[in-house]
Amino acid sequence: MSEHDPKLTYKSINADVLRMLEAPGPVWYAVFAFDLLVLLIGGIALRNQIVLGLGNAGYTRPVMWAAYITNFVFWVGIAHCGTLVSAILFLFRSHFRRAVYRVAEAMTVFGVLTAGLFPILHTGRPWFGYWLVPYPNQRQIWPNFRSPLEWDVFAVTTYLTVSSIFFIVGIIPDAAAARDRETNKLKKILYTVASFGWTGGNNQWKHFYGAYLYFAAIATPLVLSVHSVVSWDFAMAQNPGWHSTIFAPYFVAGAIFSGVALVINLLVVIRKAFKLEHIVTIDHMEKLSKLVLLTSTIVGYSYLTEFFCAWYGPSKYERDLFVQRFFGHFWWASWIMFSCNVIFPLVLWFKPIRRNMTVLFVLMLFVNVGMWFERFVIIVTSLARPFEPYSWGVNYKMSWTEAAITAGAFAWFFMFFLLFVKLLPAFSVAEIKETLPVPKRVKT
Amino acid sequence: MKLPAFLIPPKPVYHGVMGVFTYVDDATGAVTALRGSGHRNLSIFSPVPFHDLEKAIEQGPSLVRWVTFVGGVTGITGGFALCIYSVMSWPLVVGGKELISLPPFVVIGYESMILLAGIFNLLGMLALGRLPQVKSKAPYDPRFSEDKIGIWVPCAGTEATRVEQMLRGHGAEEVQVYA
Repeated sequence: MSEHDPKLTYKSINADVLRMLEAPGPVWYAVFAFDLLVLLIGGIALRNQIVLGLGNAGYTRPVMWAAYITNFVFWVGIAHCGTLVSAILFLFRSHFRRAVYRVAEAMTVFGVLTAGLFPILHTGRPWFGYWLVPYPNQRQIWPNFRSPLEWDVFAVTTYLTVSSIFFIVGIIPDAAAARDRETNKLKKILYTVASFGWTGGNNQWKHFYGAYLYFAAIATPLVLSVHSVVSWDFAMAQNPGWHSTIFAPYFVAGAIFSGVALVINLLVVIRKAFKLEHIVTIDHMEKLSKLVLLTSTIVGYSYLTEFFCAWYGPSKYERDLFVQRFFGHFWWASWIMFSCNVIFPLVLWFKPIRRNMTVLFVLMLFVNVGMWFERFVIIVTSLARPFEPYSWGVNYKMSWTEAAITAGAFAWFFMFFLLFVKLLPAFSVAEIKETLPVPKRVKT
Repeated sequence: MKLPAFLIPPKPVYHGVMGVFTYVDDATGAVTALRGSGHRNLSIFSPVPFHDLEKAIEQGPSLVRWVTFVGGVTGITGGFALCIYSVMSWPLVVGGKELISLPPFVVIGYESMILLAGIFNLLGMLALGRLPQVKSKAPYDPRFSEDKIGIWVPCAGTEATRVEQMLRGHGAEEVQVYA
C-alpha cells in the first residue's frame, strides 16, 4: 500500500524531486549570502584566536573545556540522526524513511564535518591537527591508545568516512536520473561523475542493494559506538557529574533526539520552499516527531536516573554537584536544558501538535537549544565544581570569540546544506518510487 | 573547441535487440520466455529493482557480503595489531596498567573493523557492479532512470528477428534492433 498521494507516478517523482536542482532563485542567494557573512565573522574570530592565542576564548581555570567541546558534542549528536534514519530504520524496514533519509544523511556528513573542526580549534594550534593521526613521532612513541581522546579520533574519522560513503553510494542512482535530465553541460558532468556511469542494470542493482544492506548492518553498531565513545571522553574521568556508566546510552539517545529535531526543522522548510508536501507528507513528519518524543522520554529518564544516583549514591561530591547544577551559578542553563528537552516535548503526546508544522518547527528549535545546553551543563558545571573548593568561585563566561566561532559553525553547516539542496537530489528518487505500487498491466 | 580525432572514443557498436517495457509483468514474461529459448545472457535496466524480474533472471545474492566480511576481519585484526605493536615497540607503563591491556584496545579494534568493512564494501560494490562504467554494454536510454524497463538481448541475424517478435509478443512498446 502506498503512503503517498495516488497521483504520484514514477515520472512525476523524477520531475518533482529533480526540479529542486534548477537554478536557485533570489531567496536562496539572499540566505546563502547571509550565511557566508556569518561564516566570515566566525572566520575573523578564529583568525584572532589563532594569532592571539586561546586566551581569547573564555577559558578560565578550572573550566578549560567549554563552548568548543560543547559544540563538538552537539554537532556529533546532530550527525547521529542520518545514520539512524538511513541504517537502523532500513534494517527495521520502516518505509517512511525513504522520503526523508537523504536529508538526514546529508545532515550527518555536514554535522561531522562541523564537529571535527572543534577539537582541532580547541587545541589552540590547529596547524598541528595532524598530530591526532596515529603515527609515531620522531622518537617512535605512538599515541596512547588507552586514552578516550584517541578513541575519539578513531570513532569520529570512522563515522565521517562510513557516513560519507553511505551518502555517496545512496546518491548514485539518483545522480543518474539527474544526469539523464540535465541540459547544463557543467552539471551534467557533475552528475555523470556522481553516478559512476550508472545505468540501472540488473547486475548493478543486485550489488548496490547487497552493499547497501551491509552498509546498514555496519553503520548501525557504528552509530551506537560513536556517541558512546564521545561520552567516554567524560565518563572515563573521575570528575563528579562525569564518572557515570549511564553516559553511553544517555548520550546516544540525546544524539538521536537532537538529530531528528534538526531533520524536522530542515524538512519543514524544504517541503514548504520546494512545494514537496506530497513527497514528504504530514504522516512522515508525524512519525519523525514520534521519534523525538520517544528519545525525549529516554533523555528525561536518564536525567532522573542521574539525579537519583547522586542522591542515593555514596558520593557527597556527586550530590553537591547536582545541587549546584540546578541551584548554583549555572542554574539557568540547567533549567533551559530540562525544560526544552523533557517538559516542552511532552506536548508531542497530542496528535494535532505532531501534525502542525509551525508548532513542530518552533518546538524542534527549542529541543536543539535544550540539547546544546545539555552539553554545556555537563561540561561546564562539572568542571566549575571540582573536588577542591579553592576554585569554586571562578566561573566561566563565554567570550565573543567563542560566540562568533559557534555562530560560524552553524553557518559552516548551513553553507554545505544550502549547496547540497541545489546540487544533489535531496530526496531519493529511486527509493520513493519503491513506495508506489509496482506498475503491472494485470492489476492484482 | 573541438577535441582532436584520436581523443574522441569510437562510438560503441552493439549487436542485439533492446525491448522497452512499461509494465513489470510484461517484462517478467518476456525474460522468462527468452531464458526458456536459450538467451541466458540478458541484461535488464530499470529505474528501481523489481523482485519479479530478479526472480525471473534468477540472480543469486551479491558477493559483496564476503568482501565486507574480509574488510571487517582485516580491520579488527589490524586495529588490535596496531595497538599491541605500538605498546611493544616502546614498552612504557602508563598508570600502572598492563602493556597489552585489551579492553581499551577493543574500541580501536572495533572502529577499525567498521572502517575497513565500510571501505571494502564500497570497493566490492564498485568492482562487482562494474562501476565506474565508462561504456555501457548495451545501448542506454535515459527513460530507464525514469519509468521504463529495458531488456537487452545480445544476438544477431535471424535470431534478432525472432527475439524482436518475442519481445513484441510480450507487450514491449518499443523494440530497437542493433544488427
